[in-house]
Amino acid sequence: MRGKESTHKNVYSGNMGVAMLVLLIITFFPAPALAHRVYVYAWVEGNKVYTESYFSSGDRVQKGLIQVFGPEGNKLLEGRTNEKGEFSFDIPQRTDLRIVLNAAMGHKGEYLLKADELGGAFSPKTVAKGPKQATKAAASQVGVSEEKIRAIVEQALDSRLQPIARSIAKMREEKGPGFTEVVGGIGYIIGLMGIVLYFKSRKRD
Amino acid sequence: MHISEGVLSAQVLIAGGAIAAAGTAIGIKKMDYDKVPEVAVFASAFFVASLIHVPIGPSSVHLILNGLMGLVLGWTAFPAILIALLLQAVLFQFGGLTTLGVNTVTMAVPAIVCYLLFHRLALSKKQWLSITGSFACGAGAVFMGAVLVATALVTTGEAFAPAAKLILLAHLPVMAIEGIITVLCVKFLRRVKPEILEATYAR
Repeated sequence: MRGKESTHKNVYSGNMGVAMLVLLIITFFPAPALAHRVYVYAWVEGNKVYTESYFSSGDRVQKGLIQVFGPEGNKLLEGRTNEKGEFSFDIPQRTDLRIVLNAAMGHKGEYLLKADELGGAFSPKTVAKGPKQATKAAASQVGVSEEKIRAIVEQALDSRLQPIARSIAKMREEKGPGFTEVVGGIGYIIGLMGIVLYFKSRKRD
Repeated sequence: MHISEGVLSAQVLIAGGAIAAAGTAIGIKKMDYDKVPEVAVFASAFFVASLIHVPIGPSSVHLILNGLMGLVLGWTAFPAILIALLLQAVLFQFGGLTTLGVNTVTMAVPAIVCYLLFHRLALSKKQWLSITGSFACGAGAVFMGAVLVATALVTTGEAFAPAAKLILLAHLPVMAIEGIITVLCVKFLRRVKPEILEATYAR
């Protein structure tokens, strides 16, 4: 029995060595950037949808295939990203749009652009129905048509909100693994090891 | 080299799942009490290795370490890789649950093939033979993994030659790095704890 114990001890110390080595390797590579997932996100500006695609390492997806699907899964259009990972297209229809990125080598990402996010570019008839008469009257007094005011306001809002829309879209997509996930995963593995060892040791007795 | 969800056809996913299940069953059978901690340590290493990014070309590749795992773990590399990939899928959203089987096969089969091919060589008494064997094991496992991923992707309609070329080219630097890492690890293990490597050999 004593012999058995000592061999166990040796195995464990060996494993500690391996673990140390792995740690060394990890620290040896200074930029443990996150890799191997693709992100695609989209935002609306005027009548156009803009998309940006990149790998989880931060590199842009070049010449990735972007396909846009309607709510019934029907393909509306497709195109390829440029060298900055960007691709833009005119809004094909005012429904939910599913934007799928295929970056080859089995990488695929998706972004759902909700119908209400397309709202900024809605035609006036869906936006205002109630106080139409009043505004029209007011507008005619100033001498500027209601449409013109609406167009100017929308343009101004678009240019102000565009960076916000963009960063919100990016944030919604970006959920890279953090320290918690890494440590948690290792914890799971150690826990599993404990369970397996427990059952194996019961079998031995 | 994680294949995302929704890329492969159902037949490929099921075939991958079946092979992964069979390999894992063999691996678990061969995993005795002393082997469990080793398997856990290497599963952790594999789990974390995917975060080490090798910046190269238009794509993004990361360390895999499957050659080293094969060399040390033998058949028990199968359950280790399965667990690590499962956790990567759940926690990192790398790969996916439906592609778990296929991804396990593309990583674990090369590990075992390289173990069978190069284990003897890597443990050779002559140092240069050992270095050659270890390097071939580390680089070869990445190479075979890339070929397997390309094969799986062909079923989706991507032509084999360009897909394989792209993946192999992207992984050339990884092959070199993994080869060197495997050589260093084998050297280190043989000096510090030779039983770890020889125990696999005896089985």
